[in-house]
Amino acid sequence: MRIEISGLTKTYRGGVHALDGLDLDIPTGMFGLLGANGAGKTTLMRILAGIVRPSAGRVVVGGHDMASSAGRTAVQRELGYLPQDLGVYPDLTARQFLDYVALLKGMDDRPVRRRRVGELLEVVALTEYADRRLRGFSGGMRQRVGIAQALLADPRLLIVDEPTAGLDPEERIRFRTLLSQFAGRRTVLLSTHIVDDIGHTCREAAVLARGRLIFRGTVEELTRRAEGRVWSVVTDGPAPSEGTVVSALPQDDGMRYRVVARDAPSAQARPLDPSLEDGYLAVAADQS
Amino acid sequence: MTTFGASLRYEFRMQVRKRSVWIVPALTLVLFVLIGGSLLRDLFDPGERPLDPRTGVVGLAVQLHALLAIGFGCLLADRLVRDDRLGVAPILDATPASPAARLLGKYLGAAAATAVPIAVAYFGFAAAYAIDTRQPVALAWALAAFTVVIVPGLLLVAAFALAVPMIMPAPLFRVLFVGYWLWGNIVSPEMMPTLARTLFHPLGGYPLDALFGFHGIDGEDTWAGPVTGATFNVLRPEPTPVLAWLSIALLLLVSAAALAGGHTLRARRLR
Amino acid sequence: MLGPPLAVALGVAAALAFPEPSDTTRARILLGGLEMAVPLAAAVACATLIGQDPAREVQLSAFTPYRITLLRRMTVVLAWTASVALLTAAVLILTGWWERWPQNHGALAGQLTWLAPTLALSGLGFAAGAVLRSPAAAGAIVTTVWAVQQFFGDAVQAHQPGRLLYLFATTRGVVPGDWTANRLTLLGTGAALIALALVLLGRPERLISEEDE
Repeated sequence: MRIEISGLTKTYRGGVHALDGLDLDIPTGMFGLLGANGAGKTTLMRILAGIVRPSAGRVVVGGHDMASSAGRTAVQRELGYLPQDLGVYPDLTARQFLDYVALLKGMDDRPVRRRRVGELLEVVALTEYADRRLRGFSGGMRQRVGIAQALLADPRLLIVDEPTAGLDPEERIRFRTLLSQFAGRRTVLLSTHIVDDIGHTCREAAVLARGRLIFRGTVEELTRRAEGRVWSVVTDGPAPSEGTVVSALPQDDGMRYRVVARDAPSAQARPLDPSLEDGYLAVAADQS
Repeated sequence: MTTFGASLRYEFRMQVRKRSVWIVPALTLVLFVLIGGSLLRDLFDPGERPLDPRTGVVGLAVQLHALLAIGFGCLLADRLVRDDRLGVAPILDATPASPAARLLGKYLGAAAATAVPIAVAYFGFAAAYAIDTRQPVALAWALAAFTVVIVPGLLLVAAFALAVPMIMPAPLFRVLFVGYWLWGNIVSPEMMPTLARTLFHPLGGYPLDALFGFHGIDGEDTWAGPVTGATFNVLRPEPTPVLAWLSIALLLLVSAAALAGGHTLRARRLR
Repeated sequence: MLGPPLAVALGVAAALAFPEPSDTTRARILLGGLEMAVPLAAAVACATLIGQDPAREVQLSAFTPYRITLLRRMTVVLAWTASVALLTAAVLILTGWWERWPQNHGALAGQLTWLAPTLALSGLGFAAGAVLRSPAAAGAIVTTVWAVQQFFGDAVQAHQPGRLLYLFATTRGVVPGDWTANRLTLLGTGAALIALALVLLGRPERLISEEDE
């Protein structure tokens, strides 16, 4: 499902511009969305999910214009959505919650619905806890229920906002592998602050800042944006004041800093190969 | 299963499992028995109870309705805003299910679940009374009174309890609701302008008067119709069966309008 | 915060809406606003203090005990209610309406007209919140107790324990001689219920378990 976004603007009450004339094309397959807090990622995802209306601009998903009610409903029939602040009904069991969402997604055939719920509980490793009330679930377990509900109707468009938040490292790796396998001929839009997740799953990505697009390309291109701008500095003095400090590792002879900066932060600075995270920080720094 | 059916089923299930849905009416009944003077005790006292089983169970309906509807409204006051508070709303809003059908299912499901303890209490006391007096017809009258008097009133309360917290905090709604319930039902029209005894009387004055011939436990009161010198008498025509049904229809119409208002407000917030 | 001033406004509106007023009746309704509406607004607010606090785990891990924080919140609610009630009472005293209700009990002791039911009903709301940890349920209990005393005032006052716990003894009391004992009983009941709530709130594991949603 191809997504075409043109001139998309969203202004909330009080004059806050969440999106400001955004133009973006998202192809079939896995696509990453990066940006600082408040960049407009969540608003974009809510608009694509049909739960927030844009103030201006056009969004076409799989040929359906999201401006019309019929278009939104058509997209929602093909949609799986995992919101950032996932909530569940604490009074229901995991199985009942999934059954309820499945019914709302139009899965009327009871045996099919039950089978699908069972399969997904297996996929997210919750079969053992399927008949326990959600009030007793940990944050990670609730997130897994959220992932399961997003996959319920075998969606052609999957929108996931911070899907690996709260998952343990093994679960995180398992889930991002699952997303990659799921993508195939579908569209998966992955928004996250964990840049590493995008590096492991997406071929292409976009970076937003203050509601505008500041990068659109492959993850390799994003990484290359930091070429010649990543430095290692070892010092027992204060941290480098130029550029963005990516990490600080204590050493015997002081502190080793990894810095993204246009110029070498000091005479002793040694150049390093860039990572995807460095590329993202370089793009963000160019914008600020 | 339709969106409406799914929403009805699961909202009922969630609400009926809440401890407070059972604790609040139970405590209310205990308090009601303790203070004395209520039909909960008098129905089982041969010296005090009305001779006519219809008067007995209809009077019981009035007393329980007047009292238990308050807890009913307060318990329902967070059901619509709850989806947003719990963070479930984005998931539900992203489904192709019709929001109006979801709202209707939530309304009827949650209202029915909250009414279950009221029904259990009412029919429980009515059955005990029918057995005690050996008058099974009391149960038929109880069923009629529940359907015609209690259900429309509760549907009205539920609609406002769901819709009004969209525009004000639920605690403020609870304060205003209990004030309204007192004003609209109990305050005498001679004292101040009130909806009591009008076609919009939530306790069902017109059905009580015109369909059940109920004039209080002692047969000395009237529940509907004009009051000399009172304002809003234009809404208090002489009770007839047709007007009783019209009164029920009006309560349902106002309920539908309140729900539609809540639906519109929520849709507007998403824009 | 809107509750108490709104309650006073409704009391005044009720007094003005009375079609054939005598001064005594109008004064009774004005004092009734203080004795009936103000305590209800305060108590429903107190009933919502416990439960649905997204920062409760942070609060429980803080140096200041959470129950003390909750008590401070309750104090803020009651202090605001008292300010509104005192201001209203002052206006009624200065304009002469206070005296026009024969059972006013004077300008000073008469303040128990609103203070005693406010403390008793707020204590009930706070305690119900501590027991049930559901603002909806605690609010329902407060409003129901208030409504029972409104609808069945005569039945409640038919026996001594009921008279001592009757919230509206100033404006709807049937035995004026019971007034002082009634007010003191209400104050004591309120204090006891607050103490009960504080005991229950001293067990953090009760507070971090899921609430009755």
